[in-house]
Amino acid sequence: MKKSVFVLAAASVLTLSIQAALAQDKAAAPPPAWQQGRPAALADSKLAPNAGKNTETPASEIPIDKLKLPKGFKAEIWATGMVGGRAMAFSDSGKKIYVGTRGIGRVYEVTDAGDKRTVRVVVDKLTQPSGVAFQGGSLYVMAIDKVLRYDGIEANPAVQPVDLTAKFNLPKEQHHNWKYLAFGPDKKLYVPFGGPCNICEPPSKEYAQLRRYNADGSGMEVIATGIRNTQGFDWHPKTGEIWFTDHGRDWLGDNGPEDELNRIDKAGNFYGFPYCHAKGIPDPDIKKKDACKDVTLPVTTMGPHAAVMGVKFYTGDMFPKDYQGAMFIARKGSWNRSKKFGYDVVSVRPSADGKSAKISPFLTGFMDPKENTFWGRPAYIAQMKDGSLLVSDEQLGAIYRISYGAPKK
Amino acid sequence: MPWGAKGRWALLAALFISAAHAQVEERMAAQLRSCAGCHGADGNSVTTGAPSLAAQPKIFLENYLVLSREGLRGPPVMQALLKGVPDKEIVALSMHYSGLKATANIDPVDKKLFQRGKDIASKNRCSSCHESTFRGREQMPRLAGQREEFLAEVMLAYRQNRRPGGDTIMAASLYGIPETDFKAMAHYFSRLK
Repeated sequence: MKKSVFVLAAASVLTLSIQAALAQDKAAAPPPAWQQGRPAALADSKLAPNAGKNTETPASEIPIDKLKLPKGFKAEIWATGMVGGRAMAFSDSGKKIYVGTRGIGRVYEVTDAGDKRTVRVVVDKLTQPSGVAFQGGSLYVMAIDKVLRYDGIEANPAVQPVDLTAKFNLPKEQHHNWKYLAFGPDKKLYVPFGGPCNICEPPSKEYAQLRRYNADGSGMEVIATGIRNTQGFDWHPKTGEIWFTDHGRDWLGDNGPEDELNRIDKAGNFYGFPYCHAKGIPDPDIKKKDACKDVTLPVTTMGPHAAVMGVKFYTGDMFPKDYQGAMFIARKGSWNRSKKFGYDVVSVRPSADGKSAKISPFLTGFMDPKENTFWGRPAYIAQMKDGSLLVSDEQLGAIYRISYGAPKK
Repeated sequence: MPWGAKGRWALLAALFISAAHAQVEERMAAQLRSCAGCHGADGNSVTTGAPSLAAQPKIFLENYLVLSREGLRGPPVMQALLKGVPDKEIVALSMHYSGLKATANIDPVDKKLFQRGKDIASKNRCSSCHESTFRGREQMPRLAGQREEFLAEVMLAYRQNRRPGGDTIMAASLYGIPETDFKAMAHYFSRLK
């Protein structure tokens, strides 16, 4: 192509977008969501979100030997090449696993051929399609502004999606509105809608809540409110209650308010956002009298700025007995904290009454605390049929497999 | 600058170790020629609407080029040019442009607008991520010396959720800021060295 063509194309794109922009410029606007709540003391802070990586990382460049696990457990690289890969959903047969992403806009399909894995892109060009779920032979994909269903995709890889977007009534604001999706034991699809800011009174009632829908998008119900940004939940295998992680707000200093692990013991619970954080910390910016009154406080806090992600109750029989009834939680790791925190997977054992829980380290080594650096960011956990675990690393676009064999004596 | 032009080329070439070594190098040269059409031979753009690439952080360039290849960012002409370009070539292109020197903007300065832009940028704490020099770091682009009209349009595009592929935090940072403020900030950033 000649230079003049380039110039013309670039100029016309610019003109078009400016026209579109002028038409939309009149929207009413609350204060900038990101700097809201940032105190004068942190005005000069250089803390910024960690850079993601949009290029593929081959297995040879993954320092898997740095990972540490309790005795008898082993980590191996299971699949690579899923740039930005996060949440994982198994197909009905368990032979395929679907992986959502944010920035790069793709959903991957990883096929397990026993000794090796192959990866293909199911769909791309979406706005943060982080939500993936599988039920009744269909793959469900949810981006910030789109819902797609792929029927019979295991048998028919080229199947065209059914667009369900209109049924789900997705709100306009994008921040914290990328999805984690899961079908519950009731066969309904559970979908979070985050608070569209660091801290704010949400612009309308559609935000900061967890909803469920029938699989076709009908029958929407709000299950819980006051949830800032949940990116992971699972159902307790015995009680059937939902346990979910929630990210604490930023810009209140290194030590909090901590991320949360919550339990929904009854529909309609209010979890505090934006007025009350962690185990009862009233927000200094969005003030309300008796800020923590009628708030369902977390079962446990999960550490400051930890970025708690996936939750998975362990139901396999490969791991030692004391992992039965425990859940694994991935902490993707902090950015809004001068000393890095998280970058690990912990095991969490709830008490019999579900009112407290004990957190223990499980998978560590993604972070170098001395250098204050990290190389990987564990995001989600899936359990394989043999009882081993898959852990996705969003930073390197890889999945690691964690297995257990009795330690040699 | 860490390396001279020769050293950079040597490093770029080294990234293309393959049987068709010369062929790959030729391809890279052709790619750079087509980039130069809009972005300037030295990465400093004189084309309306096309950003300067010189001295941009490498991670920012990589992320952006991938998103453009994926059809998520940039004008169709960019997306078409990058279609099918493999990651390692994108890394090499990014390394090349991040190592080039940004030339100073010699367009006249509107002192009042410059000051207004500076004040707005300060109020919005842009330097928190883009550095006090506004030369950027990691995934956060250099704003200093960037083309004025490009900066104004990009800020608007972020605010209107027309820039997918990044963290929504940039759109959230510009939430509610009027277009006149974007223009003032764009003037200010574009005149920095």
